[in-house]
Amino acid sequence: MDLKGKTVTLAHGAGGKQTAELIGQVFKAHFANPYFTADDAATLPQPDGRIAMTTDGFIVSPRFFRGGNIGKLSICGTVNDLACMGAKPLYLTCAFVIEEGFPMDQLEEIVCAMEKTAKEAGVVIVAGDTKVAGKGQVDGVFITTTGVGQIMDGVHTSGSLAKKGDTVLVTGDIGRHGCCILLERDEFGIEAEVSSDCAPLWNSVEAVLREVPDVHVIRDATRGGVGTVLYEIAGESNVGFLLDQEAIPIDLAVSGVTGLLGLDPLYLACEGTLVMIVPQEKTRQVLQILHTQEHSRHAAVIGTVTDTEPGRVVMRTAFGTQTYLPQPGNELLPRIC
Amino acid sequence: MTDQVEKSSEQSAIEKARGIISSYRGPKIRIMEVCGTHTHEIFRQGIRSLLPEDIELISGPGCPVCVTPVSFIDEAVFLALEKGCTILTFGDLVRVPGSLLSLQTARGKGGRIQVVYSPLDAEVYAREHPEEQVVFLSVGFETTTPSSCIALEQAIDDNLDNFSLLCANKTMPAAYRALMNTTDAYLYPGHVCAISGLGDCRDMLALGMSGVVAGFTPAELLTALAVIVKKTQEGKPFLVNCYPRVVTEEGSPEARALVEKYMEPCDTRWRGIGVMEHSGLQLRDAYAAYDARKKYDLPKIEGKEARGCRCGEVLQGRIKPKDCPLFGKGCSPEHPVGACMVSSEGACSAFYLYQR
Amino acid sequence: MCVGLSAKVVRVNGGSAIVDASGARREVSSRLLTDLVPGDYVMVHAGAAIAKISGNEEKEANSLMEELL
Repeated sequence: MDLKGKTVTLAHGAGGKQTAELIGQVFKAHFANPYFTADDAATLPQPDGRIAMTTDGFIVSPRFFRGGNIGKLSICGTVNDLACMGAKPLYLTCAFVIEEGFPMDQLEEIVCAMEKTAKEAGVVIVAGDTKVAGKGQVDGVFITTTGVGQIMDGVHTSGSLAKKGDTVLVTGDIGRHGCCILLERDEFGIEAEVSSDCAPLWNSVEAVLREVPDVHVIRDATRGGVGTVLYEIAGESNVGFLLDQEAIPIDLAVSGVTGLLGLDPLYLACEGTLVMIVPQEKTRQVLQILHTQEHSRHAAVIGTVTDTEPGRVVMRTAFGTQTYLPQPGNELLPRIC
Repeated sequence: MTDQVEKSSEQSAIEKARGIISSYRGPKIRIMEVCGTHTHEIFRQGIRSLLPEDIELISGPGCPVCVTPVSFIDEAVFLALEKGCTILTFGDLVRVPGSLLSLQTARGKGGRIQVVYSPLDAEVYAREHPEEQVVFLSVGFETTTPSSCIALEQAIDDNLDNFSLLCANKTMPAAYRALMNTTDAYLYPGHVCAISGLGDCRDMLALGMSGVVAGFTPAELLTALAVIVKKTQEGKPFLVNCYPRVVTEEGSPEARALVEKYMEPCDTRWRGIGVMEHSGLQLRDAYAAYDARKKYDLPKIEGKEARGCRCGEVLQGRIKPKDCPLFGKGCSPEHPVGACMVSSEGACSAFYLYQR
Repeated sequence: MCVGLSAKVVRVNGGSAIVDASGARREVSSRLLTDLVPGDYVMVHAGAAIAKISGNEEKEANSLMEELL
């Protein structure tokens, strides 16, 4: 079915024949699986043990960017939220709000990316909803995904469990999604080869937790970046952090862009990078496992948990001085996730 | 291999500088970092933690956002809301409180406010939006002013009739003179000197005021501070250019000629300090068509500074940020009252973020 | 505000130059530095190349410290 030149109209959201066509030609064609339902709700087998459930809305502008699009992002965001709780992503639902006049081929490209990413993460999309809003009422397309996952036996992660002496890792280089979006918007005339780190991380997390179930904290460093996440954890666990400035992996081009604009990559969003806090004696093992997985090949130890200054993140600079990482604040950053 | 050799010798230069600074004991040395970028980098690199008790760093007035008076923001808000102009600005100014509104809150009321990286981008914007009246908020010291003039020159070349500047540009020498009694030595801003050359610093030396010209990396800052410590002990006023790879004796005559062509000195108000003679720049009469104040017949606006705010004394190094009653209580980077809290290069903001 | 970054000149066309700072490229005005050639290092500020950089930071720090001690 050639969708080129066709657009989404209000009739596609009215519930009639055209709605059925849209669902059939676009959504069903890509999301097909035994649970995907045309009924009012999907009926699913009950997982064993505890489940985790989460939801997230995606309104990124631009919708297509180097390294992904809003569809890929909408799967990664929810899959990664589940992964942070040690939950194997099982089922996802997605709700679309589409602006009247939205090109059908773009919609299909977005849906394709969702299909591919869901497959990679091992999750199935079981139900969906489509609304069409009048021209100008939304910006292109907004997607909300909700996910259910099964928490691995013996795993208990929480932002309140960081303990003195633990090691802080990141699963990849930081700030790439935020930097990529900044560049895509082309507001500052800067060009650089930076693609979003947007990726589903369940495989990395599962590999780690299978060997090391006692990871204390996993959190995805999305909005606000690694710096914001660390301050959140510092508050929840009532601990401090000592980071090693030189150990923080940052793509060279990202540091060039942030240098030009006076931004700190620690406060730029990641969409495929997690912060992990692990018992000190498990550090090497966790790092080795992360390095075997595609999306965490650049994982690195960036610091340790301390009890000297609870609530603060301290940086050890390249020449040995110590300084606070500024608290997350009011950066003049555009909407990026 | 060569890289490694250089790396290790750099380490040793840093180590030596560090040793000189940390081991200093003696009469108190007060050093004013005039420039906001120095303030910020010194905090960010944790350099204050190396200083012994006998060395005091004072954060001076060299952040253009901090010294921009309330009335300037009021003028920009007026242009946006009353005259329907599109305001293009460096990001730093967007949250600075005016008497009633900041540019950010003016945007919420329908004002068109856009952040640009460069004045030249503002000129391009004006060219691409002939239906809009574009005003660029021209603030900054010697380093930044030439960019505004390049943009103006381009606008004249392009025959733009929808581009103008709202100027609050400032020059450092008046501030150097006004503050010389508050400190023993200046850490002169390298980028200002890259434009102005060493002449202004030599004038200060002739008045007995010491200083060094410094760059912005840890190595540059530490070596500059070490030079101040050593030279101060020699007892004679001194001037050392610690940033010769960028700063030359004559600076940039091209940049100065360009500024001279379009702008002339004027008396201007520095937020918190007051009016200083010949410390500002305004557009020459010949370019009145590009002067937003004249073009839009701006009324005289008397800005109201927030009560209780002691930014002025902070800027002059008379008090530390935490001595201000508003610091951290009602005045924070999220809700700034005074200008020193707004810009990430302001002394209060830097103290708040890095030292509290 | 006064973020000044050193960048390498990649191309010069008339009054402007393309500079590269660790892989981030931008067009800047070269109005103040009329004799730029590709390969030069410059300080960039607010969209203009404001000064050429001669020599490197390490050597500068070393010679300063040698003079001092």
